Amino acid sequence: MEAKQEIKRSTVVFEDHEHFEPTEDKGRKYFKRIIINGIISLFLILVIVYTLPKAVLTIKSLFEYATIVALVIFLFILLIRYFSILLLAYLYINEYTYSSPAGGYFPFVSILVPVYNEDKVIADSVKSLLELNYPNYEIIIINDGSTDKTKQVAENLVGYKKGMISDVKVSLINKPNGGKAKALNTGVKYSKAEIVLCMDGDSQLSPDCVKLAVRHFANMEIGAVAGNVKVLNRGKLFTDLQALEYIEGLNMARSAQSFVRLVNIIPGPIGLFRKKAIEEAGYYSSDTFAEDADLTLKILANGWKIYYEPNSVSFTEAPVKLQQLLKQRYRWTRGIIQSIKKHRKLMVNPSINFGDTFILWTMFYEALIWPAMNIGANLFFIIAAFAFGFSSLIFFWWAGLALLDLVTALYCVAAEREEFRLVGYSIIYRMFFILIIDICKLMSTIEELLGIKMTWGKLERVGVAQT
Amino acid sequence: MELIPILSTIILVATISTFLLAIGAYILYKVRERRGQIAVAPHEAEIRAEVVTPAGIPAPRQVEQQRPALQPIYVDRQPVIIQQAPGQSQQRVTQRPQPYTAFRQQTAVSTEQQPGQYNEAGFVQQRGFQVPRNGNQPEEAKQQKDSKFLKYTTEGYVSTKENKESGAVRWR
Repeated sequence: MEAKQEIKRSTVVFEDHEHFEPTEDKGRKYFKRIIINGIISLFLILVIVYTLPKAVLTIKSLFEYATIVALVIFLFILLIRYFSILLLAYLYINEYTYSSPAGGYFPFVSILVPVYNEDKVIADSVKSLLELNYPNYEIIIINDGSTDKTKQVAENLVGYKKGMISDVKVSLINKPNGGKAKALNTGVKYSKAEIVLCMDGDSQLSPDCVKLAVRHFANMEIGAVAGNVKVLNRGKLFTDLQALEYIEGLNMARSAQSFVRLVNIIPGPIGLFRKKAIEEAGYYSSDTFAEDADLTLKILANGWKIYYEPNSVSFTEAPVKLQQLLKQRYRWTRGIIQSIKKHRKLMVNPSINFGDTFILWTMFYEALIWPAMNIGANLFFIIAAFAFGFSSLIFFWWAGLALLDLVTALYCVAAEREEFRLVGYSIIYRMFFILIIDICKLMSTIEELLGIKMTWGKLERVGVAQT
Repeated sequence: MELIPILSTIILVATISTFLLAIGAYILYKVRERRGQIAVAPHEAEIRAEVVTPAGIPAPRQVEQQRPALQPIYVDRQPVIIQQAPGQSQQRVTQRPQPYTAFRQQTAVSTEQQPGQYNEAGFVQQRGFQVPRNGNQPEEAKQQKDSKFLKYTTEGYVSTKENKESGAVRWR
């Protein structure tokens, strides 16, 4: 145990550079929305009234045909999506394996650890940071007005600590509560480093994480590097399913996006940024619940490229209970929709930044269209089974999807050298886990479109590293 | 009974249960969330924060590499089969492996290094082990070089180098 070192306290005033969009008049906004929706609805009713008497089929048959056509389109999009992502991810892995930049580039890095009521896990996080195989870095803990013992625990960590290669300076910033975005902005402003690593207070980094990610910054076009997030607390049904989701659902898509240097979300548990890119983007914003997605979109809009480093691993605690999982996904979905809404100009105008337009449409599809399609398809099979007795249809649907997931899971687990046992979960992955997540996404989308207020919330951490 | 109808029923029941579970859990989550108080953080132009840093700058010290000490690596060698004259049994001699010690020069990394480029000084990567760039190999490496070529005699393995100072007469 190292002796506690002497500390120095000082008060610093940070300017809040956060840029806020001017708020629209709500009454006028809703009036505009009602008028536009009314005109569209009226047009559709007129089309139906005009065409229905001319139709050969009955309304019931029309409904059946329309549903079948919708299902075929859904299946087609699903396959195209899967194989496009698989192909791009494969090309990325090839590129990564054979033409990754060599090491030897060690700029000074500030690791920013924003914490809010993380007294159980902060010590382990900092401990993992002192074991980094990197010679030139400092740790800045930003205590965002915690109400538990985080401040005391963090103060005990301040000092020059023995790192793996050199001594590491650990500093602490105590600020009033203002959210993760403001906490990270404070850390970025305090840092004097060229590269900043933003992480979560409950995450733990792998030893080579910084060394492997930083080498990509030798390319001056790269504005940020996304790391690989893995589930730390495995062994339970929900956490294992999330571990598979992180590998199959998130990392594979991120690999595919990285091939075109357009990673759409730099994950909160590990993201490295060129400080200049954050400054140009106007820092993190607290007007959305997915500040990482928002900042990523702003960085891409400024013309920076974003890369994904699969060997820079951050281990994070996944929600253990269904309630916690829903809370997390609710926030993610609403945050992503808020980010899409915020950057809608880029979405409709590809001449500003084509990469951003493409990425925003992808996000729109994943967050809004996909969940609705998946729920719709499942509902159709339930209705088909009860109303028409086609109960075997749902089995073939499940078998097809399970086979697709099984193959994808095998590929992803092999590519990431992950636990093979996770492949088994792909049998229930789509019909059980993804269906729950999609229902949550759909509900969150409806709430977001209705403008229902929400809070950040806080997931309860148990500190698995201690157990 | 056929397998597909049974599996279809299982999948159907599981799907309906998942629907009910998801909707029920969502409603429960919303009810619990509503009980919590909503506190909106005020937006201020300035953030006043207390910065806690280590007092003073420690004197630069020579930091030893924390990497684990290198253990001698024994190189596996193939057994040498000595062909004997007809009638004699084959003698199987396994060459005694020589300890193959990689060495590492301890780097002196100053803790007061300024932010900027960092170079791992003095190392050139050569086939899995590191040697200093200046080429001054330590005694241990020289010994290894000497024992690279050995001659097998009735007394075992001996060095191929002649000891000219011993004065012993050698048959040519």
